[in-house]
Amino acid sequence: MRAMTSFRYIGAKRRAKEHPRFVSGRGRFVADIALPGMKHVALVASPHASARIVSIKIEKALAAPGVLYVLTGEEFCANTDSLAIGVDAPKVTRFALAKDVVRYAGEWVAAVVADSRALAEDAAERIEVEYEPLPHVIDPEAALKADAPLVHPAHGSNLLYHRTFVWGPVEEAFANAEHKIAFRAVWGRSATVPIETFGVAAQWDAGTGILDIWASIQMPKFPDQVARALRFPGNAVRVHHDVDVGGSYGVKRGLKHAVLVGYLTKTLGVPVRFIEDRLENLRGGDMQGPDRFFDMQLAFDTDGAIRAMKIRAVDDVGAYAGRSPFQLGKPVTAICGPYAIGAIEYEPTSVMTNKTPQEAVRGFGQSPTNFAIERAIDRVARHLGMDSIEVRKRNFIRKDQFPYTIPSGSTYDSGDYHAVLDKTLAAIDYGSLVRARDEVRRSGRLAGIGIASCLEPSGGNSAFEVLMNPKNENTTWMDSCLVRVDLSGAITGVINNSSAGQGHESLVSTVLGEILERDPETIRVVRADSLTALPSNSPVGSRMAIMLGGAAAGAAKTIKETLTAIAAHNFECSPEDLEYHDGSVNVKGASSKKFSWDQLVEIAHRKFHKLPPGLEPGLQAKFVWEVPTGGALPTPEGRIQIYPCYAFEAHVVLVEIDPDTGKPMIRRYVCGHDCGVMINPDIVHGMTYGGIAHGIGAALYEKFAYTEDGQLASGTFMDYLIPSAMEVPALAIVDHCTPSPLTTFGQKGSGEAGYLGAPAAIANAVNDALDPLGASIDALPISHLAIWSAIGARKGAAST
Amino acid sequence: MLATHGESAKLLAGGQSLVPMMAMRLVRPGWLVDINEIAVLKFVAVEKDVARTGACTRQCVVERDEALAARVPLLRQALKWVGHIQTRNRGTVGGSLAHADPCAELPLVAQVLGARMLLRSAKGARTLEAEKFFSGPMATSARPDECLEEIHWPAWSWRRTGSAFTEISVRHGDFAMVSAAAQVAIDGDGRCVRAAFGVGGAGGTPLAFPKIAARLVGTRLDDAAVSDAAHAAAAETQPGSDLHASAEYRRHLAGVLAARALREARERARSL
Repeated sequence: MRAMTSFRYIGAKRRAKEHPRFVSGRGRFVADIALPGMKHVALVASPHASARIVSIKIEKALAAPGVLYVLTGEEFCANTDSLAIGVDAPKVTRFALAKDVVRYAGEWVAAVVADSRALAEDAAERIEVEYEPLPHVIDPEAALKADAPLVHPAHGSNLLYHRTFVWGPVEEAFANAEHKIAFRAVWGRSATVPIETFGVAAQWDAGTGILDIWASIQMPKFPDQVARALRFPGNAVRVHHDVDVGGSYGVKRGLKHAVLVGYLTKTLGVPVRFIEDRLENLRGGDMQGPDRFFDMQLAFDTDGAIRAMKIRAVDDVGAYAGRSPFQLGKPVTAICGPYAIGAIEYEPTSVMTNKTPQEAVRGFGQSPTNFAIERAIDRVARHLGMDSIEVRKRNFIRKDQFPYTIPSGSTYDSGDYHAVLDKTLAAIDYGSLVRARDEVRRSGRLAGIGIASCLEPSGGNSAFEVLMNPKNENTTWMDSCLVRVDLSGAITGVINNSSAGQGHESLVSTVLGEILERDPETIRVVRADSLTALPSNSPVGSRMAIMLGGAAAGAAKTIKETLTAIAAHNFECSPEDLEYHDGSVNVKGASSKKFSWDQLVEIAHRKFHKLPPGLEPGLQAKFVWEVPTGGALPTPEGRIQIYPCYAFEAHVVLVEIDPDTGKPMIRRYVCGHDCGVMINPDIVHGMTYGGIAHGIGAALYEKFAYTEDGQLASGTFMDYLIPSAMEVPALAIVDHCTPSPLTTFGQKGSGEAGYLGAPAAIANAVNDALDPLGASIDALPISHLAIWSAIGARKGAAST
Repeated sequence: MLATHGESAKLLAGGQSLVPMMAMRLVRPGWLVDINEIAVLKFVAVEKDVARTGACTRQCVVERDEALAARVPLLRQALKWVGHIQTRNRGTVGGSLAHADPCAELPLVAQVLGARMLLRSAKGARTLEAEKFFSGPMATSARPDECLEEIHWPAWSWRRTGSAFTEISVRHGDFAMVSAAAQVAIDGDGRCVRAAFGVGGAGGTPLAFPKIAARLVGTRLDDAAVSDAAHAAAAETQPGSDLHASAEYRRHLAGVLAARALREARERARSL
């Protein structure tokens, strides 16, 4: 095991490389991209959840001031191809503009291009669309019934994906267990809602035949998918990654936006930009997250040992597929959480309704699943009259059991769950927390302690694709880095994607500095565009510390070996006789007999006669890395290694509730966090704080609610409630370090942890508070109204 | 301008409600009349039994005015709940009253205290009691050619006068699901000599309950009397339902919050 102190730069408190430009207002976001002669787009959206488009009259819009063009679905769909469909459902095609029918309220029907966004909006109002409303379905269970209106009639049903996985002797365990419980946990439709909405600017150059795109993206294979939909060869699309992304955590996919704008610029021969306003973003931007219920069954013994678990997860993906069904697949990689549960049945069901399509949200389906599992653990404890901490410790995988293979086939790399939970309980002073809760209860108010543990699968290996789609054989999810040392001796790291605040420039400069023993402050990190980039899969799935960090380290090691080889050639000795120190190479035991960094760099760039035979002149190295443990197809039972590394968190929270109003208040919050070796602790902590705030939103406030008519009822920030600084309490993070044996420095991924544990911990706290009344709530978000209703229902029941 | 353009002209004060509504294309005035530079609309004047504020006075100015806080403390107590510091730096007192959101704080204060609105048009001026001014959700009795010029806030003269404002919203700074305001005066023996209270968010306009409040006069404002009054008031409300609160929940909250406001006002009065 590596000791953290053996690093020079890794783990040290250092200012993030990105801070100077963001703090001084010098970020360059897509709305800062102003191309000469650029035109702007506004959209006409469907007011109906389901309707046939009878006619679209565009003449008045075309005659409006400043209008260049009006595009409808008929033209667009005839000249472009469907966006990629993740699961095997070829008839569930998806285009940026609706043709013939609309399938959700807010779906785009026409696009207006004008001299300014305001003029485009004015003209969009003049477009007259005649609709014939059709039956619609909003409830996922109703959508599964035989007589339900079909969202995509050509597909034949609203069921997009269904399979029952049985891993281990589930029925036997249920037959023999001393206790069983069953309940339903409901995760409300919420999302990440970045400050910056989605935006894209594009310019077609007829001279070069290249479509340049600047977009606010966090999307794997984005250039390839845009090119395919536009029927272009891949090398005709150049995506510029040097655009700062103003927040994402999953949702900045933007394929339909980019294909639409790409088509418009090609057709019109002028640069075109589209930036969603907030209403477009929330309703038609396709950025709403999982919308899921879980029918949970657990079989366990009197001592608290959980023998088996059955999970039926029904997820409402809305009107189109995309990658959203895969959000039921990622949880397979940690389907038993941090617990040694020997038999699991998992029945993921992906269903379509007439709602806004679902998109990836932080954790890619892991946070809802973790909420269901952690509610189940608390329910087991309550059923047995045991302390929930004892039930968790009784079932945690022990540190001496790693590497540990779970029933669904993934092997957890490392961990010490007992130690992290104990550290967290000590940090919050659990004994005094219990006394504080009991004191509040004695004063006539309600209070509860919530505990949740969770795993953050990291390393972003999307093997759930091959698990859920037999026609997909994509088994590599590589990432890459190019390192260049120029003639002046300065180091540049080239990365291959854009960042949404994860600090990749800090990551790469720190890693290069660590390996090459050069000050990271002097190392520059730049972004290749998609035509010059090495293979990459973008920063998703908590993968970049592992994958980009690993690729950068690999490339740096090659540079180091090259420098050593040059020195060995000129000393006429073996590389084994030399040592590398602070960028210089000297003969072991003779520190004065050395080549300096500058001398070695000069040889590499200018003195071919001093280079060892076979070595390329110049000084650069690339490294393309496949995800460790990745690369395999699933077994027939659906067992597969998905993610490589598993970080662990424990959340402990005290919630107080005003019994007269139902208002919950978070009084204390401590998160114990183990993501192995932290490369930049401030970045890790920042993402964890933000994740907890995000999780507080999912637990108590945020919901994309729909009316029975299929209208989005929370389409503005007056109704879609994101927690503010007033709702997020002081948070404390306690670090622990269990290095991963699979990665370069022992690092694991981070960024989702706070969001994965907070909803479960808060739900458990609210339920602990309601427990003396005999009430419980298993549906998120837990609104004030829901709490008040639960209190009132119990009081009413008690008085009758 | 208002006389010429009538309904198609809108006064722009702090813009904290009007501008977002225009951005969402929910309101489309043909003419925007910016009154932010009209100096006579911006003042605070504390007189013997009334405090006057100009309609275009920023909420933050009213909030920080010590003389005003001494004579009409309910205003400062309510303003703490209005949006956030940033919105109060722009938002105006008159803008909030003229917008007449039934959940907003300042209209409730005006209703409970019986504030008077001085309205002016090219034809002349008139004064309307708050009760007559608020005519429905987001609606007032001001005519299209009238501009709200001044608000007159009654100041009570009893030495032992206490007031309180409370509300519940899902998040701090949101429009209240329900709010409550109360002001009571007591004599040297602790007997109530005057009481006023009301609730917001529980009907089409903010509601005051002068008849129920009158029943508190002569009592010692003990918890039982306060609770009776609050629940009698809640029973008179006819709130609506929305995404965040059902009518039943709002009615319940009206009783809880009215009682809390009355008790808090009583404690303040007793402490004097």
